[in-house]
Amino acid sequence: MSATSRYATRTSGRGGRRATALGPGLAALCVVLAVVAFLSVTMGSRSIGLSEVLRALGNLDSDGSITSTVTLELRVPRTLLGILVGAALGVAGAILQGVTRNPLADAGMMGINSGAAVLVVFAVTVLGVQGVGVYIWFAFAGAIGALVLVYAIASLGREGATPVKLALAGAAVTAGLVSVTTGIVMTNVDALNELRFWQVGSLAGRYTPILTGVAPFLLIGLAASLGFGRVLNGLALGEDTARGLGQNVTRTRTAAFAVVAVLAGAATAACGPIVFIGLVVPHVARLLCGPDYRWILPYSMVLAPIVLLLADVLGRVVAAPDELQVGVVLGVMGAPAFVAIVRYGRLSEV
Amino acid sequence: MRAWRPVLAVAALSVVLAGCGSSGSSTDDTPAADGPWEFTGGSGQVVKADKTPTRIIAHAGEAAALMSFGIKPVGIFADESVKTDLNLKNLDLSGIEILGEEWGKIDVEKAAALRPDLIVGDWWPAEKAHSGMEEGVDEKSKKLAELAPVTGVTQGKSIVALAEGYEDLAESLGADVNKPEIAANKKRFEEAVTAFKAATATKPSLTVAAMAPADDKVYVANPEYAPELLDLQSWGLKVMNPASPDPGFPYWENLSWENADKYQPDLILWDGRTFTPTVNTEWSKKQPTWFKVKAAKAGAVVAWPAFWLHTYGDFATELTKLTEAVKAADPNVGN
Repeated sequence: MSATSRYATRTSGRGGRRATALGPGLAALCVVLAVVAFLSVTMGSRSIGLSEVLRALGNLDSDGSITSTVTLELRVPRTLLGILVGAALGVAGAILQGVTRNPLADAGMMGINSGAAVLVVFAVTVLGVQGVGVYIWFAFAGAIGALVLVYAIASLGREGATPVKLALAGAAVTAGLVSVTTGIVMTNVDALNELRFWQVGSLAGRYTPILTGVAPFLLIGLAASLGFGRVLNGLALGEDTARGLGQNVTRTRTAAFAVVAVLAGAATAACGPIVFIGLVVPHVARLLCGPDYRWILPYSMVLAPIVLLLADVLGRVVAAPDELQVGVVLGVMGAPAFVAIVRYGRLSEV
Repeated sequence: MRAWRPVLAVAALSVVLAGCGSSGSSTDDTPAADGPWEFTGGSGQVVKADKTPTRIIAHAGEAAALMSFGIKPVGIFADESVKTDLNLKNLDLSGIEILGEEWGKIDVEKAAALRPDLIVGDWWPAEKAHSGMEEGVDEKSKKLAELAPVTGVTQGKSIVALAEGYEDLAESLGADVNKPEIAANKKRFEEAVTAFKAATATKPSLTVAAMAPADDKVYVANPEYAPELLDLQSWGLKVMNPASPDPGFPYWENLSWENADKYQPDLILWDGRTFTPTVNTEWSKKQPTWFKVKAAKAGAVVAWPAFWLHTYGDFATELTKLTEAVKAADPNVGN
């Protein structure tokens, strides 16, 4: 907490009081996340009594009953995946917005989704791969590849990867990859079917091997991401000021992009493109805790899975015995939320 | 729009050419009467022509049906590669123009060049459209309907009715449906039905569900919109009717994986498009709840030859396989 008080004394009195409340606020959000995670395990498209869920949770070895299987083998992995993926997308969005100083930056804009999609299609058409458990690794590679490409293109020229050049390179790479994907998908039914499944962001049907597959990447990425608070604060003052403060801006950007590539790449590979989380949550975090990235990052990391899990539970409950993909629910919820944030006029404060 | 002008011009020209060339070309093609021709399609719509159509473009399964009666189309459009399309297995496609090998994509310019005088595609009552002109098909592809009258038999209540409908269509187009090799397929089919009825009669309590497991959910087919399942029901097989089919796409009820065990049949008819001998084991490893369907766990699964059946011969072959599965099934698995 010493960092907090140091920060508080350096800012105005108004900010000072607020900063001291940020620690307890984060703790409260963690409690909310725990509650939402509990909801995600207890509520679903199959109605299972609370006592049965608790009994299943208490007896961690699945006893083979359907309630135990659904609870332990479907809902618990799904909830854990939701927490990790949500946290990854939230914090990746916050880092990207900070590092590019672009309030509209999110993983999708930087080519992550289109890069993942193009390699999914490649795996299906050329290599004959089928099933999300196999092509998830192609999606991961594609996401990272696209982000590296965007960054490399934006770095061309004397002044390096400036925010404007990053946005332009992201848009160009995305447009190119999308047209390649569309071209292949138009002539290949298998690719179309697989992509149709993967392209709607979802936590459903992502069985345990997928969770265990991506979890190490996500955990390492999440841990690494928390170290960027100070340098992002420096960058927020402007590149020249950051340089004046002794920062190596290029190195910061490169490192930040590497972390975002791992986080958003693994999340997108596992669940498909999940919209709005990476875009909206950092803005909400900024509303709650002000411009200090040392707080925005952990707030985003906890807020995002709350939103993701709530949307997922909603999609499961409203459509039972079927269920709606979380990507669809978020699309419906996310747009008005974003409009509300824009109307509050906080976008320009990145 | 501009791109379509040449095509429409060719189409218009083809109508003229067809009219001019009628006396010359019909003599070597078919012995059918030259007089006015008409046929009532599955939609209830009557299509008419001044003379019997001879230059036919047909969807894959419908083409196979016509070919089984000796009517060879000039062009075929398929939903997948003609090499893998089950409808076209063992058929000689030489001399037939392939106009499409993907659902929803038909090369209409090529089709126009064939100067067709009839387009044949099944009528889908749930979607109120012919094959190749359904919702979701490329807008360009739908222009096929402007080249010639469109007709087809309904994918309504029965595959038998479908096969009979194409028999009628073939007959109206001049086919001799009483040729020995054609009659032999029909007889084989009738024997297969008799054997199937006998098998189901010995297992009155056996229940089956037509299912298709997929990555995000499990689909249960709705017999109401599956003519082959209605046929099987009418021959005594208890195919389950799902309680709440998807309102927008009533061919299936969608179950989340949490609800995979909602139905407990004794035997699973597995969508033939995804069935392989090892697929049941693979799904048990992928989805923890798949084996909560007791029949799946017991390995009581058999390929289900869905929508593609169009001929007595194909139906006889598939029915014989199902008869074996029914004979081998244990009617107490799902209890």
